[in-house]
Amino acid sequence: MADRAEWQSVVESELRAAGHAIEVPPPADLTAAVRRRLEGQAVSRRRLLPAAGAGIRGLRLGWRAALVLVVAFLALLVATPQGRAVISHVFRFAGIELHQGPGPARSPGTAALPGERRMPLEQARRHVSFPILVPAALGRPGEVVVSDHGRVVSLFYRRTPDGLVRIDEFAGHLDQLYFEKFVRSSNVTKVEVNGTKGLWIKGPQELMYITRSGVPAIASARLTTGNTLVWGTRQVALRLEGNLGKAAALAIARSAR
Amino acid sequence: MRRAIDDAEAIARARGGDLDAYTVLVARYTLRAHRAAFLLGAGEESDDVVQEAFVKAFRHLSRFRTGEPFAPWLLRIVANETRNVARSRRRRAALALRLPSVESSAAAPDGPVDEALAAERRAWLVAAVNALPDRERQVLVCRYFLDLSEAETARVLAWPLGSVKSRTSRALKRLRGRLVPGEQNRVSSG
Repeated sequence: MADRAEWQSVVESELRAAGHAIEVPPPADLTAAVRRRLEGQAVSRRRLLPAAGAGIRGLRLGWRAALVLVVAFLALLVATPQGRAVISHVFRFAGIELHQGPGPARSPGTAALPGERRMPLEQARRHVSFPILVPAALGRPGEVVVSDHGRVVSLFYRRTPDGLVRIDEFAGHLDQLYFEKFVRSSNVTKVEVNGTKGLWIKGPQELMYITRSGVPAIASARLTTGNTLVWGTRQVALRLEGNLGKAAALAIARSAR
Repeated sequence: MRRAIDDAEAIARARGGDLDAYTVLVARYTLRAHRAAFLLGAGEESDDVVQEAFVKAFRHLSRFRTGEPFAPWLLRIVANETRNVARSRRRRAALALRLPSVESSAAAPDGPVDEALAAERRAWLVAAVNALPDRERQVLVCRYFLDLSEAETARVLAWPLGSVKSRTSRALKRLRGRLVPGEQNRVSSG
């Protein structure tokens, strides 16, 4: 029979897994409602961008709307005088927050996620609370890295026909923030992966990892290679990065099991 | 060079009355706050709870200690609001497991039998957590369903750290007591 400490660690990981499987209905978009209620009382400072008006209020809109917002914001940026404090309007998808414009200064040296640990795939499966998806199109990853106490797992394929392909997986459906990307709206298009939404982002972008407490991990800031596909399943959010085309990336994503 | 607004900066600006900055925080934390409200028992009223919590949080931003993480501070207000609605209707919403989807069965590394057993086990655990006394249920929800640390849980539930530890261990002991003997050998992960 398992001893007490062992039983406790087993039941703790089972409780975590059960927590991920509980049906939580999607929340309403509250940004507009909260804002309306607060607008009457915020007096000390007016809005920074009066011209933006109602168009950029709802941050949790549908895809089309969100992309339009991003484009609208880009136009707004051009019109905004330099040096004025502007908050970049964000939109979120599967634990990833997209921002307009250039990202932070990168730290010198190799960028890394916090607490990276290389391990075999089977061991990695025991270290994370979500199922690790492996694309059949690529087969077994050459290298598996678990970061930040099992919050993220990264699969590396170094010898694909397109060179290095990297896949990061995390429980993005819980909507904790995992990554921030700094993109140009014209490089982002909506795609579909196995019936669910995804994003295809063309060209390198700044990418930064956000810790559990919402603080950017500065040492993780890096410029991505090639293009990126971001998509999600009910349990896992994934980002695939590499020097490959959209069709090839989608084929890999669709084969993830 | 421009960069994304982080929590600390958004809070500092929101304190000065900047609603754009506060809206970034609302967008960033809505889902997390909603999940906490729902799992702590707000049920169908989770959206109302979260809206109320965000409005109160804005009003109380002056009490936020600079440098502390925003999420536990916000979730404490969410937990408090959840208690208020649960008190007013004298019951809390029970948690239910999501039905396994086709996709998740395709994604599972194990075969269908293992998966069915694991699903059964999870359903049992969630039912057992639902049936715990209130405080023990809350502490397990925070620690394991919301993935909060002991210190964060103490902050969210407004308890001393020692109470978090003792109630967690009491709750786990109670779960263990309710296990039928045969199940103690079953290790589905570890």
